[in-house]
Amino acid sequence: MKPTVVKIDNLVKRYGELVALDHFSLEIKEGEIFGLLGPNGSGKTTTINCLLSLLAYDKGEIEVFGREMTPTCYDIKSEIGVIMQNVAVLDELSVRENIDYFCGLYITDKEKRKACVEEAIRFVGLEDFVNFRPAKLSGGLLRRLNIACGIAHKPKLIILDEPTVAVDPQSRNRILEGIQELNRNGATVIYTSHYMEEVEQICTRIAIMDKGRKIAEGTKEELKGMIRNTESVSIEILELPGEIKEKITHLPHVYETEYDGTKLTVRCSGGKHNLIRILAVLQEAELGFGRVYSELPTLNDVFLEITGTALRDSKE
Amino acid sequence: MFLHNLKYEIKLVLRAKSFIIWLMLFPIILGTLFKVAFGSIYQNETFDTIPVAVVKISENEVFDEMLTALTTGEQPALKAISEEEAKAKEMLFDGDVKGILYVGKTVELSVSGRGMTQTILQEIVGRCRVYETVIRDTMATDPSSLEAVIKELSTEVDACREVPVTQGNPDVYVQYFYNLIAMVAICGCNTGLHVSIDNQANQSVVGARKNCSGTPKSINLTAGLIGSCISQGVSMIFCVTFLRFVLQVNFGGNLLLLYLCSVMAGCLGVAMGFFIGSVGRARFEVKVAIAMSISMVLCFMSGLMMGNIKGILAETAPWANRINPVAIISDSFYCLNIYSDYRRFLTKVLGMGIYIVIFTILGVLFARRKKYASI
Repeated sequence: MKPTVVKIDNLVKRYGELVALDHFSLEIKEGEIFGLLGPNGSGKTTTINCLLSLLAYDKGEIEVFGREMTPTCYDIKSEIGVIMQNVAVLDELSVRENIDYFCGLYITDKEKRKACVEEAIRFVGLEDFVNFRPAKLSGGLLRRLNIACGIAHKPKLIILDEPTVAVDPQSRNRILEGIQELNRNGATVIYTSHYMEEVEQICTRIAIMDKGRKIAEGTKEELKGMIRNTESVSIEILELPGEIKEKITHLPHVYETEYDGTKLTVRCSGGKHNLIRILAVLQEAELGFGRVYSELPTLNDVFLEITGTALRDSKE
Repeated sequence: MFLHNLKYEIKLVLRAKSFIIWLMLFPIILGTLFKVAFGSIYQNETFDTIPVAVVKISENEVFDEMLTALTTGEQPALKAISEEEAKAKEMLFDGDVKGILYVGKTVELSVSGRGMTQTILQEIVGRCRVYETVIRDTMATDPSSLEAVIKELSTEVDACREVPVTQGNPDVYVQYFYNLIAMVAICGCNTGLHVSIDNQANQSVVGARKNCSGTPKSINLTAGLIGSCISQGVSMIFCVTFLRFVLQVNFGGNLLLLYLCSVMAGCLGVAMGFFIGSVGRARFEVKVAIAMSISMVLCFMSGLMMGNIKGILAETAPWANRINPVAIISDSFYCLNIYSDYRRFLTKVLGMGIYIVIFTILGVLFARRKKYASI
């Protein structure tokens, strides 16, 4: 069994009346890419700040690499790489100097640091921009620099707090591929995001957060297995008599139907050949229809079913 | 780790736009403006020979003698041009001469307008009249003593004797340059402010990143403060060197001590900024605005913008000059220049030292937090 890298137990953090973290617990094993998924304001960044011992909390325990995490645990901090939500670089330094500066806060050996810096530059693909100042970089390149500053010292635990916010798709893919590569090289990764597609794409295990609480945890398959929905069928149809909608609702494995005047959505729980059975009902009633989609459940469906609101609609 | 930090802290400060503008360009520009402004004042004080037109109405031997004395020599007071009245008036109108002397039994002066030159002419003619009267009276009453009387008249008797009170430069305008150096020093608070902001997780993202690193906060803060003091010291040396050797401002006294004192003043600026940055939790821009406002008020109170404000404060609120760090800095330069013993200078230096210690200790106390209630 792999050792535990991060253990958060019963963490409570209040901002006055507001409970930002409500008895939040978590355990992350070595080698995982652990996703913290939740809408803005759900407590992801607060969790990370508590984990890094930046933020004082009201109750609970945090252990990193098997030891209690305190602000003066510099040896533990040396093994952690942090990529903040906001770009944290120094405007007066060039790309190479920025990476060297932050790497130097962890590595004292000059030669070793130099090698790490060059490797980090190659890793994020900033070879052509090493002498550029941050102000001259595009948003995507700036994010890559931000990542390079956080990982240059080759940490065992990498924490990425929404690193792809306001990043173009090309840079986003590069960042996600990079995270997977870091993981393949042995780093444990904690990845927070409110983009469920990203979390689904790279994370081996996911915790879904809402209002400071963990509402679900597991692999994406386990999470999807927690909900009733196994398939959503959408059909473009301009006319749907009430009795036909009723008939579809009573088909085996169908538990919910929705019709908005142009599109019929049928949610099924388990079973096979749901689509064929639904189409057969429509053909039998001689109703014409347009495009037909069948979708497997997403993490958004998981969030929707557990909280009653869609993940992407949730506001801070 | 410390040296690595220190190297980059110095780089950061030296490359910061605010450093280049306020601590490098600003003293050059303002110092040059001061020099130009005060230079013209000194220029106005130098005496130039005054051209006058002389219109002879009748012979006046006594005045002719005096005019000869006034128009000859190494730096003659007057340059006399004998002309007809009409031509003389034309010259006066054109500004070729500053006045017209009508020489008859008495001497009359005609000038156009008012000013320093006209006043000098008035004074010369007045004196000539007195001398002429004395000579004429002597010739009439006791001609034998005429030679002795003329000798007596030509002898300058000074009731006052000038005794230099200082080996330094007593020029009052040097005070403006002291205030300029003091202002550059106090502008270092911007640098100190950065040290505080860049090391606190609840003030900046860079601060948060540093607080997550394997380097203790004490090392980051120490390197930041020392790096800022070194950079500020460089700017102070640059400023004093520029004023002394490029603009040729005479600071009198001991130049080495002036350099050391200005570097110390720079450290005071850094410490003040560090303190302001560490107190409270306002946005960076707000803290910069607070620091700059405080600096400007202190500079105003020390007389940078209004030369006599310090005197007014000395009469109405003497404590203000005693506690104003900018006034302490500029006074230390003044004491170094004017007084031959170092007692007053050392008192001011001690004042600066106390401020540095207080600001640094309070700043560290506020900035040492490692965990924050909110970020």
